[in-house]
Amino acid sequence: MSAALSVLVATLVGTVLSCVISVLPALHAYNVLGAFVMGMFALTARGIELAPEVYLPFMVGMIVGWSMLNTIPSILLGAPDESAMFTVLPGQKYLMFGRGYEGTMVTGVGGLAGVFFLVFIVGPFAPKVLPPVQEVLRLHMHWILWVIITFILMTEWPKGGNWGPGGWKKFFDAWRSLGAGLLTFFLSGFLGFILLYRSPVSVDVAFQNIMPAFVGLFAIPWCLLNIISGTRVPKQHISKSLDIDGDLILRSVGAGGLGGGFAAFFPVVTGGVGGLLAGHATAQRDERVFIMSQGVSKLVYYVGAFMLLFVPGLGITRGGAAWMMRQLYMPRTYYDYYMILAAIAIAGAVSFLMMSPLTRATIWFIEKTNYRNASVFALAIILAIVYVMTGWGGILVMTVATGIGLIPVLFASRRLNCLGVLLLPIACNMSGFGQDIAAWLGLI
Amino acid sequence: MKGISHFISGVTAASFCPWAVEAAMEGNPLYFVLGGAFGVLPDTLDFKFYRFFYYHDIYVEPEGGNPDPQRIAEQAAKAVEMALKEKRTVRLKLSTVRMGADFWRQYSIKFDSEKQEVQVRIGAVVNTGQVPVPGSEPKENQKIGRAKLVCPIVQTYDAVTRVDIFDGPTFAMQPDEQGRVVLHFLPWHRSWTHSFTLGAAFAALGWLIWGWQAAVVIMAGLSVHVLEDQMGLMGSNLFFPITKKRFHGLHLMRAGDSVPNFGVVWTCCLLIFWNLYRHIPSPTFKFTFLQLVFYGAVIPLGAFWLAHFLLTRGKKAEEAVAPGQDEFDEPVAAS
Repeated sequence: MSAALSVLVATLVGTVLSCVISVLPALHAYNVLGAFVMGMFALTARGIELAPEVYLPFMVGMIVGWSMLNTIPSILLGAPDESAMFTVLPGQKYLMFGRGYEGTMVTGVGGLAGVFFLVFIVGPFAPKVLPPVQEVLRLHMHWILWVIITFILMTEWPKGGNWGPGGWKKFFDAWRSLGAGLLTFFLSGFLGFILLYRSPVSVDVAFQNIMPAFVGLFAIPWCLLNIISGTRVPKQHISKSLDIDGDLILRSVGAGGLGGGFAAFFPVVTGGVGGLLAGHATAQRDERVFIMSQGVSKLVYYVGAFMLLFVPGLGITRGGAAWMMRQLYMPRTYYDYYMILAAIAIAGAVSFLMMSPLTRATIWFIEKTNYRNASVFALAIILAIVYVMTGWGGILVMTVATGIGLIPVLFASRRLNCLGVLLLPIACNMSGFGQDIAAWLGLI
Repeated sequence: MKGISHFISGVTAASFCPWAVEAAMEGNPLYFVLGGAFGVLPDTLDFKFYRFFYYHDIYVEPEGGNPDPQRIAEQAAKAVEMALKEKRTVRLKLSTVRMGADFWRQYSIKFDSEKQEVQVRIGAVVNTGQVPVPGSEPKENQKIGRAKLVCPIVQTYDAVTRVDIFDGPTFAMQPDEQGRVVLHFLPWHRSWTHSFTLGAAFAALGWLIWGWQAAVVIMAGLSVHVLEDQMGLMGSNLFFPITKKRFHGLHLMRAGDSVPNFGVVWTCCLLIFWNLYRHIPSPTFKFTFLQLVFYGAVIPLGAFWLAHFLLTRGKKAEEAVAPGQDEFDEPVAAS
């Protein structure tokens, strides 16, 4: 089979398979790719070698497909991963107005626009632009992370304290949500230190260490909220058009490309953080632009991070998929780079075509099943996946993380503060005093 | 300006300090963190501390289900009258009207200096994203309230203020010697917190804790914030307590305008990048500042602007035909 045909078939297989994992809440593409990499090692141990033209495009298909299609459970089942955090609330508003299909498809258009952005704008210029950027910023990643943490903590807006005469009562009413935000950040940071230095998750599945925490911090609180509140979803209208135009897409690509690109390039900075920064920087008021830009940001973050490994002359590894892929293959030439760009383009087109039928199927499921039951179903899947992947240790981590993840839900504070689980321990390590803090906490 | 613009401006100010970059290259993030923190601190002090202790003479708290625009207008007019008769500054607080977890009844207030009256218009219910809920406009006869003012007023901000989400606005009515009342919008904002004197005080504290380098960064970060705010409508009280009033702003932009905010953020990113590049002893990739500006700003932003222009040409022609009107159906001068 020629190399081109191998790439095409492998991409299609990976993309189609991604639609299965994408609609299951809490199942991340990285979890499946981790299992895939272990499978590849097993094959190699038996003397079976697959060509890079097979497994690389397959992985690309999985990542692109998941980035695009995971919007569906994020919005319609209220079970987001961290990068979809900002999409869920406005997306659920669309759902509650009977426009869930429209909201999901608008985000999907954002994902497709993200593919265009990566293939036609980033692709040609990355080998020229990114290496000098990396050379300048290489030694400064640590303080950039600290500056981002400072920004996140200082720019949360108080939700209360809006009525009544001035005084301490008003002040404490306002600081309830702000205090909850700070508490969330530091508690999740503490959890992050535990996961880094004394994780209860078995060493055999250490590469899935962070998954139970993320699921507990982000996905489960949404599901619980839907179950407890007994949300009723109105009849959904399947619109024939999306009421978007070229300028809307352009602005979304601007905002989302910046946010996702920033998150892809800088270590530890995730899609949610990139989305926050880009949202603030571009100050777009139109809700459609906001939702679409989150679709752009998510795709650019996950796919862009993987793509960076292939940029000739750059030599950086970002994102879980790239780290896993390095165990199998180290790309070096423009051949690999163009192959990946082609796979991204194909996977993007195919996954976007799958968006509409999968969205309709999910809406059919919600309308038949009742939203509370759908959330219970989503929760059951999440629990099963966590248990299968990480055992009772993972369930324990997930439970603790859920407790922390519920704080912003209950106090209306920023859910992004849950990213303290990654930001705080890694920023401390990058600045050289992470071990000191771990020792002070009694973890080592 | 928006918080991120002020924040990154503070970081940029720090990047101009060689010791900040050198310390960062050795693993010490302190100066950059201080730059960013003090870059955004003035607004943090105002919006997260000071405003919750600010005293008001009159609180307008419209009824949740059915706010009465006439009552709101009369209370606003009463505040002006009180200021004139009692010869003191009277503070008026307009509260928002919460309709649910994510819904607010929007209303607008206009101090009309030509007609010497205050008008209040009840609008639609909006969500926290300020998007109106279709079909939620009140009936025609419930919409507008008017009340005459006892004296001429002097506007220092927009004539129309929209009240919708979270915290409502405050006005300070200050009588002057010509028998008029001067309206100050958000009097608690950009007063003592946006002064160079406060910056100097924080810098002195920073000197005591971390040394003179930190003091320079703190002063630079806070000062950049103060200077940026002079571009807007409100200005600030630059030398509190020596000066007593807010200086007028230059009226070049509004705090929430996306283009200048983004322009500041982008420019700051390029400046930070350049300042970091200058400290690399033997860089592999060599470029000049002009090349950085050309490839980092002119080309990408120019391409974006061109695409935006081509995609919106038809829309701009349509908008040019319709005259601007405010919420009170009165003509607005084109900006």
